[in-house]
Amino acid sequence: MILKSIRLRNFRAHENSEIQFDDRANLLVGPNGAGKTNILEAIYMMCLSRSFLTSSDRYVLRKDAPHFEIEGVFESEKRVPIKVRVAFVPGEGKKIFVGGAPLDRFSELVGRFPVVIFSPEDQQLTSDGPEVRRRFLDNIISQTSSVYLDHLLRYGKALKQRNELLQISRKRRTAPDPMLPESWTEELIRHGSHLILARHKFVTDFSNHLESAYQKIGTVVERPSLSYDPFSDTSLQQLDLIKSDQSGADIVWSIDRIQDLFRIEIARKAASERDRGITLVGPHRDDLEMSLGLLPVRRFASQGQHRTFGMSMKLAQYEYLKERNSEKPILLLDDVFDNLDPMRIGAFLDILGSNAIGQSITTAARKEIVHDHLNGMSCHTIEVCSGGHVQPSLLEIALEL
Amino acid sequence: MQFTSETVESLVDQFARLPGIGRKTARRLAAFVLKLPKSEVEQMAKALIAVKEKVVFCSVCFNVTDHDPCPICASSKRNHEIICVVEEPNDVMAIERTHGFNGVYHVLGGAISPLDGIGPEDLRIRELIGRVNGKSGAVTSEPMVKTKEVILAVNPSVEGDTTAYYISQLVSPFGIKVTRLAQGISVGSDLEFTDEATLTRALEARVSV
Repeated sequence: MILKSIRLRNFRAHENSEIQFDDRANLLVGPNGAGKTNILEAIYMMCLSRSFLTSSDRYVLRKDAPHFEIEGVFESEKRVPIKVRVAFVPGEGKKIFVGGAPLDRFSELVGRFPVVIFSPEDQQLTSDGPEVRRRFLDNIISQTSSVYLDHLLRYGKALKQRNELLQISRKRRTAPDPMLPESWTEELIRHGSHLILARHKFVTDFSNHLESAYQKIGTVVERPSLSYDPFSDTSLQQLDLIKSDQSGADIVWSIDRIQDLFRIEIARKAASERDRGITLVGPHRDDLEMSLGLLPVRRFASQGQHRTFGMSMKLAQYEYLKERNSEKPILLLDDVFDNLDPMRIGAFLDILGSNAIGQSITTAARKEIVHDHLNGMSCHTIEVCSGGHVQPSLLEIALEL
Repeated sequence: MQFTSETVESLVDQFARLPGIGRKTARRLAAFVLKLPKSEVEQMAKALIAVKEKVVFCSVCFNVTDHDPCPICASSKRNHEIICVVEEPNDVMAIERTHGFNGVYHVLGGAISPLDGIGPEDLRIRELIGRVNGKSGAVTSEPMVKTKEVILAVNPSVEGDTTAYYISQLVSPFGIKVTRLAQGISVGSDLEFTDEATLTRALEARVSV
């Protein structure tokens, strides 16, 4: 997928900006606060219906403006142009149009315009709490499977309802009707087990991509790995799964089996759920364990290893989406080069220049950071001045080797 | 912008309370009412009042009706062995429009939703169990027949799913067949343009031919 052009009206720093993009590498340069990241934010919103920085549309509205609007023209690999328009009016909410037709549900948008963003926040992937990693999982699997997204949205609703029910019964200190909690538990399990199975499959498929991505950026040969254990050992033992694992037989993950485990686990935590009034079992509490060699990244990795791991995850995300989509994702890179050592910048630009990557849009405070490492690769440079004014750079760089 | 008349403005306020009506549409409706002859406005007002004065709930199926029991429950031509459970009266109308169902109905009045403060006791679930159990407490002229099938025609939402599960658990001990409406591809649409989530559900609920 290629983004040919974008137009922003009253979007953050941009009053009225129009930008044309090249089909390959693009570089947005300009001082801090000029609105470079805002452009990536708008592109991301056209692809996935929401910002990667804030959950509220009100905050991206330019100060005192009555509404904001993003209009973009995409082009598929088959050269078919598709117009996407996002419009937001406070009080009336956001509307998204694809090819002129309004979307009934924003979830219809997800996956049509695959996108991957690298940003300074990627470090949180390895250093912060499990929520960041669940978001990563959900983002990438949703972009490849609308079935997953459907289960995810329904799971979220069922979870809210079940928590409310737990809260109510805690306040009343009674649970007069045992059938009612069971009904919500079943609904939770119905959707949650699909999420668990999809996440399990994802981690298995993703590991190869992660390993090869890590080798491309990293210099040391530690092996990165991911593991995903949605259930406690206790419940696994109850189903004799651990025994079968020790005998060498592969554990076959199936919906039925996950549902059984889910039920065991919920039954085990029933008392604490009643006490605390929240759902304590399920994919909303999942985590993804990341390791280098045998050591967990979160506790043992150095700053450099954290950074490399985070970038590898994103690069692997790109490869994973590319493999599963008919379209190459659009790659957005926000400020990633400013704090990177020259060797990693070089390695990364090599990847951007190779045919493996389609269109990329990068932001940097100074163009030298990128230009000094271009090695003959051409890069469409766009200057963003303060106040969001945009102009193509007078100097189109195409350095010879 | 405001109307120069407070009376008109208060009519706009009333219209704007209706579901799906924004302020703009409310103004347009108010302007339309202004232009109507008085007799027609009176008719409209009468219809509104009558809804509250004359309409009652059927004591058997809890659908809205002018006469209790409702024409469907009172009809001897309908098959009283099959009960179709729906959330709202509008759903009865939707199924009636198909002319493909000859059983009777049971209107729950919503779906189980803790967030909206709706529990099973707020819905007509106990009454449904009474019906299938043959112990209808209401004073009715419904012929005493044994229920053979309960069709759950609730919405395919998280709340509808849960309500369906809840009811099915209560009804199945009576040895009555409990079914749920099929979910999947809408008639007249192309397989190619059906979204994956719907298609997956259709695959799961496939039938042999």
